[in-house]
Amino acid sequence: MKKWLPASFLLAAFVVSLYVGATQIDDFWSALINPGSNEILWQIRFPRVTAALIVGAALGVAGLLAQGACNNAVAEPAILGTAAGASFGAVLAISWGLVEVGSIGAIACGTVGALLTTSLTFKLAAIRGSLSSFTLIIVGIAVSAIFTSFVGIASAMVSRADARSISFWSFGSLALITSENLIGIAITAVIGIAIAWKIAPSLDRLSLGDATAFHLGVNVARIRLIALIALSILAGGAVSTVGSIAFIGLAAPHIARFIFGPSHRKLVMHSAIIGGLIVVVADTLSRTIAQPNELPIGLATALLGAPVLIALVAFKNNVWRTQ
Amino acid sequence: MITIDEITIVRDGREIIYDYSEQIPAGSITVIIGPNGCGKSTLLAAIAGDIAPDKGTITIDELHPILTSAGTLAGMRAMAIQNQSFTLGFTVREIVEMGGDSTNVLQALGLTAIADRLVTTLSGGESQRVAIAQAIAQKTPVLLLDEPLAAQDPSSRKKIIEHLQQLADDGTTVVVVAHSTETELAWADKVIKQFH
Repeated sequence: MKKWLPASFLLAAFVVSLYVGATQIDDFWSALINPGSNEILWQIRFPRVTAALIVGAALGVAGLLAQGACNNAVAEPAILGTAAGASFGAVLAISWGLVEVGSIGAIACGTVGALLTTSLTFKLAAIRGSLSSFTLIIVGIAVSAIFTSFVGIASAMVSRADARSISFWSFGSLALITSENLIGIAITAVIGIAIAWKIAPSLDRLSLGDATAFHLGVNVARIRLIALIALSILAGGAVSTVGSIAFIGLAAPHIARFIFGPSHRKLVMHSAIIGGLIVVVADTLSRTIAQPNELPIGLATALLGAPVLIALVAFKNNVWRTQ
Repeated sequence: MITIDEITIVRDGREIIYDYSEQIPAGSITVIIGPNGCGKSTLLAAIAGDIAPDKGTITIDELHPILTSAGTLAGMRAMAIQNQSFTLGFTVREIVEMGGDSTNVLQALGLTAIADRLVTTLSGGESQRVAIAQAIAQKTPVLLLDEPLAAQDPSSRKKIIEHLQQLADDGTTVVVVAHSTETELAWADKVIKQFH
């Protein structure tokens, strides 16, 4: 029963999100079972809500990979510099007129930016020898801050007004989503989630520390590199299309872990579902709370995810021991 | 058979092990003893393939651990480190099964009663026994254990020693680092004294 709870909530949230909006859809249920019958439902809301689901799933699994690969409870794309790097890669290419927001090109640039900044974080954190969790997080925050500043500078040079907004790159928005750019984020999400599924048993062993993981047959450096690449693909695809939506990468894996335990095979699926659920609900709220204006989605995701995370940590803190 | 041939290991500019050779016979229990900092754990880590000797070679049945892939090595040797810590709340059974089948070893080491407990809630001695059980579950020809008896009560020590003797009788090469004196090691087939 517990197994199906988040998926059931996600399905319900998906339908509600299709239903609510500035315009009332006549005969909603009939339109829902006849694809293409209603323009607002199928041309505007369906791509947007589907994008919310995919982006949430991608960021949820990206966070899981970050925490698993670093064996650190607070690692996530926003903290390791991954999200800022993805934003920078995409916004730089957009400002030079090389690619469009949400295009495959922007996703590729975002992924490369994410990979480079995350690698930079790891390199700088290990500059004095061994890689400690503490230095990784401190260096990650610093790298994030630097690249967030670069994003601010580069976004000022973007000609398209809606993509020029610093709010878009800092807090995210699904307003620029079209049916076409769903394909790009769907591809990156499927690739990244499939890699995460494949390496999940190795991430279980990595939680015992590098030495024990190696004794159990894990090539630690290789698994960490693969996780890093998958994390960059997931974050790069999501961030270059909808901007930076913080907190999902932290909240979704933790909520999944509290409900379903620490096995990464289970967590890949449930982090994706819970990440998708948070973003779908947050997007619904962000476009209905202050109509006709739209709130940045990052504000809603934080408001939704943070209280749940605090409650879980306060009442059931035996899944991740942080010493 | 483990062959250690004229190895030197230098760490932070200090020679931990110098020009050292040893033969560890197959199907027996060998215990390495010596004072703190003499290089007991370093020697065990070198046999496990964790660190490379600066000079000399180590072979396990003709294979060089340091030149062997992690996957192949995990089929040749298992190792339980000292002070294994657990950050994620897996159950005892799940942790042991990361090594292999858990049925016999849980019972042999007295872990059946706590098999479904989360490892994050265990005492130091229990955590160490879980790490030993995981290594034994790998069912490798060579078993390396760093201070397996340090945090154990007398009953658990007895269980561990009896099981190691059983494994050695069945052909496993067991190498143990211990903080004991030679007189306490009647259960060992061979004792290596490390002095720096």
